[in-house]
Amino acid sequence: MRDLAHRLLVYEAGAGDASEPLETAIVRVYEKLRQSLGEFAGVAAFESLAFRALTQAKSEAPSLWAVKVAADGSLQGLGEIETQIDMDKDLAGEFPAGEGGIILIARLLGLLRLFLGEALTLSLLRNAWPGAALDNCNSENWRKA
Amino acid sequence: MSIEDKVKINKLPTGVPGLDEIVGGGLPEFSFNIIAGAPGSGKTTLAHQFVFANATPERPALYFTVLGESAIKMLRYQQQYTFFDPAMLPGSIRFINLSEVVLEKDLGAVLQQITKEVEKANPAVVVVDSFRTMVRKPESDMDLQSFIQRLALFLASWQATTFLIGEYAEEELRDNPIFTVADGLFWLRQTPERNSVVRKLQIIKLRGQDSVPGLHTFRITDAGVQAFSRTFGLIGHAKNPPSHRRLCFGIPELDKMLGGGVREGDSVLVAGSSGTGKSVLATQFVAEGIRQGEPGIVAVFEERPQAYAERATSLGLDLETPQKDGKLKILYLRPLDLSVDETMHSILDAVQKIGAKRLVIDSLAGFEMALSPGFRADFRESLYRMIFALTGIGVTILSTVEVDESFTEFPFSTYSISFLTDDIIRLRYVSIDGQLRKIMVVIKMRGGNHAKDIREYEITDKGVVILGKRLTNYQGLISGIPSRSDRPDSTGEPALDTGIEHKT
Repeated sequence: MRDLAHRLLVYEAGAGDASEPLETAIVRVYEKLRQSLGEFAGVAAFESLAFRALTQAKSEAPSLWAVKVAADGSLQGLGEIETQIDMDKDLAGEFPAGEGGIILIARLLGLLRLFLGEALTLSLLRNAWPGAALDNCNSENWRKA
Repeated sequence: MSIEDKVKINKLPTGVPGLDEIVGGGLPEFSFNIIAGAPGSGKTTLAHQFVFANATPERPALYFTVLGESAIKMLRYQQQYTFFDPAMLPGSIRFINLSEVVLEKDLGAVLQQITKEVEKANPAVVVVDSFRTMVRKPESDMDLQSFIQRLALFLASWQATTFLIGEYAEEELRDNPIFTVADGLFWLRQTPERNSVVRKLQIIKLRGQDSVPGLHTFRITDAGVQAFSRTFGLIGHAKNPPSHRRLCFGIPELDKMLGGGVREGDSVLVAGSSGTGKSVLATQFVAEGIRQGEPGIVAVFEERPQAYAERATSLGLDLETPQKDGKLKILYLRPLDLSVDETMHSILDAVQKIGAKRLVIDSLAGFEMALSPGFRADFRESLYRMIFALTGIGVTILSTVEVDESFTEFPFSTYSISFLTDDIIRLRYVSIDGQLRKIMVVIKMRGGNHAKDIREYEITDKGVVILGKRLTNYQGLISGIPSRSDRPDSTGEPALDTGIEHKT
């Protein structure tokens, strides 16, 4: 699931301005999910899922401790935390500063997969990211993720 | 105005097996429909089947969910059905949640939101699930009638076929503006009957369509809702002209008694008490059909197909090979909560699949026991419909029925169904010379002459074998306790029986 989240993040980062902070891309991924799922399932349902995903993600990424899900499902406090991590830590990898965000997105996608199944989740993602290459997200890749 | 000038209403497939026939060939395009019923009656599943059968990327379906089951949970469960194709979401089928608008705003805002989405998507199908939760809002600027009328007008103008789904009780049918405006009203019921649940569907109204009236049973399986029309899916099927062909049992003496065999398309009843050989006779009938190139169906309720075939083998009849060759199907129908319509559906499917000409129902008592208790009350009526439908397409039916032996009566059936049958063969025990022997008599043959003889028979390893000539040296054979007369055997004149009441 992290692989898929990472892929969405790469896609969004590529679609934006090169100089924009990484958290902007994470928020964009999250917001697209919020918009797509909110319309489909309702704001309240998205907010519940996002809250659950955030709770799970916090156990893996304590850096998310100050992040909150608002009543409308939007994410609050992600930018500040990720910037702080970026300054405090010297992490290797492509998106070291976005690790917490990736975990959150991965957890959210994991919940969707759990409730809706692989095929339906991918259908929804393809609709939200029509240009992204998600076709090789077959069962094996999902399991690895 | 000629027929050509009249508007042609396209009929859309419902996606529900059996329902197209019930609604008169399909659902009218652009109609505004209500699916009503208690929770758990299958309303959402039925709507989903329609949506999956009709949505396309060019003309998608919009599925508005309101308060009630969340879309995520709904889809979690609905995708278990075989008709559910995840690839159709969200390109051809879009789920839109209206809960916030309904909770925070009034019906005017709801209408506005639906309008906006419909204008954007240009859908062929619109579903609002559950509509009932929406109209329960007491404080609304727009009155319900106005809302419904505007919604119906708008959706029809946008050439959308619409379903509103609601949990309604039957007493709400009166004076409800929703039902007045609707073109189609589908009512789903599920009624507990002793230990089983009977599901029934009624088309209370459907404008412009010749729908089949009455209550139709339906079942929810992993394929979704499946409806069983009271007309058994035979509307439009040409009735076979009366046939003069005779179908043999392959028992020469019995075939002679029947004037050459039973007439093709007849319903034959073989009645007798336990052990008299009803099933043996039925097996011989179907085996002879196969020998003559007439595929057959055996619907068994009291033993499993394997046991049935093995018993036939012991009589020298091979039922295994024709089963493998597709000339014979043995249906085992005993889930204990069947409706006659479902049974008929299984039988008709098999009849059409192998082109069956002979059908054995072994036995009517087992058939009745396999039905849900709620359907047993209608057994006779259902049987009438079933026999009429099957013989109408040229299938010859042989049913067996167990009757209690009586020494004061000569009953043909415990179901009072002999009026449904064209031919009756009665088997019974008689006490002769200190032995319990068996006799057979043809009671009735509609449309044909038959022997009046009472013949003794035995069940051997070759099946039913009729012995000697007719029994003329006994009086009162059908009473079961005959007395010896002085007449010699086989005078060529029929023996007379007196003092016995023939009960049908």
